Amino acid sequence: MFTTIVKRDGRVVPYDIQKIENVVYKAMEACSRADHGEASRIAKLVEEKLIEHFEDTAPGVEDIQDTVENTLMENGYAYVARKYILYRAERTRARELNTRLMKIYDELTFADARNSDMKRDNANIDGDNPMGVMLKYGTEGAKDYYLKSLLTPAQSKAYSEGDIHIHDFDFYALTTTCCQIDITKLFHGGFSTGHGFLREPNDIQSYAALACITIQANQNDQHGGQSIPTFDYAMAPGVRKTYRKLYARNFAKAIDLLAPDYEKTSDEIYGAIKELWVKEDIYPTLDGNPVYDAREAELFPMEPELYARVRKFARDYSLRETDRATYQAMEALIHNLNTMHSRAGAQVPFSSLNYGTDTSSEGRMVMRNLLLATQAGLGNGETPIYPIQIFKVKKGVSADPGDPNYDLFHMACQTSAKRLFPNFSFLDAPFNLKYYKPGHPETEVAYMGCRTRVMGNVYDPSREITYGRGNLSFTSINLPRIAIKAKGSIEWFFEELERKMELCTQQLLDRYKIQAAKKVRNYRFLMGQGVWIDSEKLGLDDTVGEILKHGTLSVGFIGLAETLVALTGKHHGESVESQRLGLDIISFMRGFLDRKSRDYTMNFTLLATPAEGLSGRFVKLDAKKFGVIPGITDRAYYTNSFHVPVYYPISVCDKIRIEAPYHALTNAGHICYVELDGAAANNVEAFEKIIRTMGELGIGYGSINHPVDRDPVCGYNGIIGDECPGCGRKESEDGCGFERIRRITGYLVGTLDNFNDAKRAEEHDRVKHTL
Amino acid sequence: MSEYINVAGLIGDSIVDGPGLRFTVFVQGCPHHCPGCHNPESWAFEGGTPMTPEDIFTRMKKNPLLTGVTFSGGEPFCQAAALTPLAKMVRENGWELAIYSGYTFEQLLSDPVKTALLRYADTLIDSLFVLAQRDLTLKYKGSRNQRVIDVQSSLKAGTAVLNTTERWN
Repeated sequence: MFTTIVKRDGRVVPYDIQKIENVVYKAMEACSRADHGEASRIAKLVEEKLIEHFEDTAPGVEDIQDTVENTLMENGYAYVARKYILYRAERTRARELNTRLMKIYDELTFADARNSDMKRDNANIDGDNPMGVMLKYGTEGAKDYYLKSLLTPAQSKAYSEGDIHIHDFDFYALTTTCCQIDITKLFHGGFSTGHGFLREPNDIQSYAALACITIQANQNDQHGGQSIPTFDYAMAPGVRKTYRKLYARNFAKAIDLLAPDYEKTSDEIYGAIKELWVKEDIYPTLDGNPVYDAREAELFPMEPELYARVRKFARDYSLRETDRATYQAMEALIHNLNTMHSRAGAQVPFSSLNYGTDTSSEGRMVMRNLLLATQAGLGNGETPIYPIQIFKVKKGVSADPGDPNYDLFHMACQTSAKRLFPNFSFLDAPFNLKYYKPGHPETEVAYMGCRTRVMGNVYDPSREITYGRGNLSFTSINLPRIAIKAKGSIEWFFEELERKMELCTQQLLDRYKIQAAKKVRNYRFLMGQGVWIDSEKLGLDDTVGEILKHGTLSVGFIGLAETLVALTGKHHGESVESQRLGLDIISFMRGFLDRKSRDYTMNFTLLATPAEGLSGRFVKLDAKKFGVIPGITDRAYYTNSFHVPVYYPISVCDKIRIEAPYHALTNAGHICYVELDGAAANNVEAFEKIIRTMGELGIGYGSINHPVDRDPVCGYNGIIGDECPGCGRKESEDGCGFERIRRITGYLVGTLDNFNDAKRAEEHDRVKHTL
Repeated sequence: MSEYINVAGLIGDSIVDGPGLRFTVFVQGCPHHCPGCHNPESWAFEGGTPMTPEDIFTRMKKNPLLTGVTFSGGEPFCQAAALTPLAKMVRENGWELAIYSGYTFEQLLSDPVKTALLRYADTLIDSLFVLAQRDLTLKYKGSRNQRVIDVQSSLKAGTAVLNTTERWN
């Protein structure tokens, strides 16, 4: 008789009949028929059969299992045998999953990112860099665990098969998406990053530096974008502090220079002015402060003519130096945000800065210099990838000639025509305007990263503000698949869509429950430093569930265009009827989520999904399942959210007009793009006109895509065909290609190398607007 | 019915044929044959699409964003008579009109039919394209010898007056 058996991996181990008895007993137990005697009898029968068949040769594990199965059947244990078969199948699946994971790790370890779509899943991560690969190991391992352990079978199936997509699934049980940070509040009195305390900043350079540190620190607590919703208002105090310091210094210097015999030394003069702002809160300002001027004249009596010269010197120099310091601060901020890796050590933070409405001289100085620094670019004139900048367009403030910040809007257009940022948000769109309260910058809608918007608040209607709030998580629906399966039945389409909405909202709630159980100590910065709204009221070991309700749970969608083609034969760019149906579908989704919001008193919102990895995944699965269907599954990607397909020729105005109504419905965020062919920087007039049109037609958030190329050899920035207009060098010469900056789901990418396959195809298909 | 215009192509929302968003009419047929030409396929006088000014104007009207219209080609002044009614409609609608030509302003003035079309334009980009003077950094010109001319001032002055605004240069 054999004394050993062969395991699956080829190892030979001693045979033990007890093990057979154990599995049989377990199977019986699962059917409530546990019986040690019977288990032992069956085990002996199995052994006899094995001896008969194998004699002295060691049997394999599969052979033994087959024999157990048969023996159970033969002995009237049909139900137990079925349990046993199920158990075997499950073990096989688990084993396969483990093998799958190992295969993934193999690819991550040995494949070149250029050849591995998985390694280019997110264009922000360098898939060749060790920290990038480490991050992918973690990501893939975590996904495997969640899939097997945290999702319900229905959710797991829907996610695996591509009915829905759970975004940032690798962070499923860890944290929330994003936050709009009120840095004014954070800076007040100083804060701690967890590794040391930082005092309240005292000049614009420290303000800008701490803004970066804040974004970096908070990015370690969340997987999504970090936004400063009122960057202009937040930085203005830094300018104010720089100016008063410089003024005091220059005033003292001027007296030294112009009246060397003056009774006070320059240190005494500086000290006296400083005392004024410290003790009496009176200080010189950019615009001139009459209260300060009066005190100054009192403190430093001198000849009127001399005094006038001293003051002029102090003012002129302080203004110039403050402006210079602000520029350097903004330049450093842009450099920092493009270089400091934080998110899992492999990515720079997803930073967004919103600004445009602060009309104070200090706020305006911040914006002008940020725009100038953006135009100048990075060290060698490269286009900065971060931060995403969003300029707020508001009537009476920045929108029209004659408005106090119109000059900055125009400058923002110039900048974006050269550098692709800023994007533009429109505060007069009715769905944004309804929150707007003059004098309360926190009620100005802000956009995060590629498009996220968090404003309405059913949980606490008195707090419909940006500060301290963000998205918790989002899940997207594969709309085209439902449409394909509907086989022309609009009725069935809506029924199925409702089932999928139900599935998504339930899954979002399940995920929320995991997030809700976390404690303040899990998020030392986000919650520990009072960044998230109301977190300052909690202790280190309090759970965050209640305050998270200020955030949003969002359901997104992708491929409205393909959906409409599947249902009606035409997309919404081609037919008025399809547009009507498109609006019906999206209104239905919004209505569903509004109802859920009321039922749960939580913020369920509808998102026009930014779909980087997703746009290719869904269509690949659907093409496999349903075949290549023209206009639906015949490309490498599904069209983003409600966009008119990028390959469809349409005029700028018609595209904006068709897409605008969807902005009102997608309260979790949206963006429209217009594609321009040619050097936008040479025609800012056209650029501005398009942006203004977006505002007039009800767009909430928009931007213009246009080619931005750079020759790394001579530094020329603009459009480059196969020959550099700056130096006449050809693409192929010197073994050094031109850099081509493109926008991908809202983020800029330096070369097409980091695009995944679907996005490369999408970029290739983009047509510029014609007739 | 107006005379047909032989059209090589139409482009709406152009940002490279003049400031603002422009509707560009490329006419078919050109006698100049400049070496290094951007559109040699528009040289032959046969093979374009005949269109009436009304038809083209209707297409322009669909775009509420237009700043202006540009005639390019081909050589627009070879079809001066056919283009004049369209130029009139464009101007009466309040749009700017720019025309590209291989002829010089002075040459155009010596021909009454060509001058009739020119009278409707605000801007003329004149002269042949010269490969040796090609400069890809110029905003709306191909080579440095070409001129951006303020047509109305030039007609008044009787001599070419350059448009030196930043908008065009």
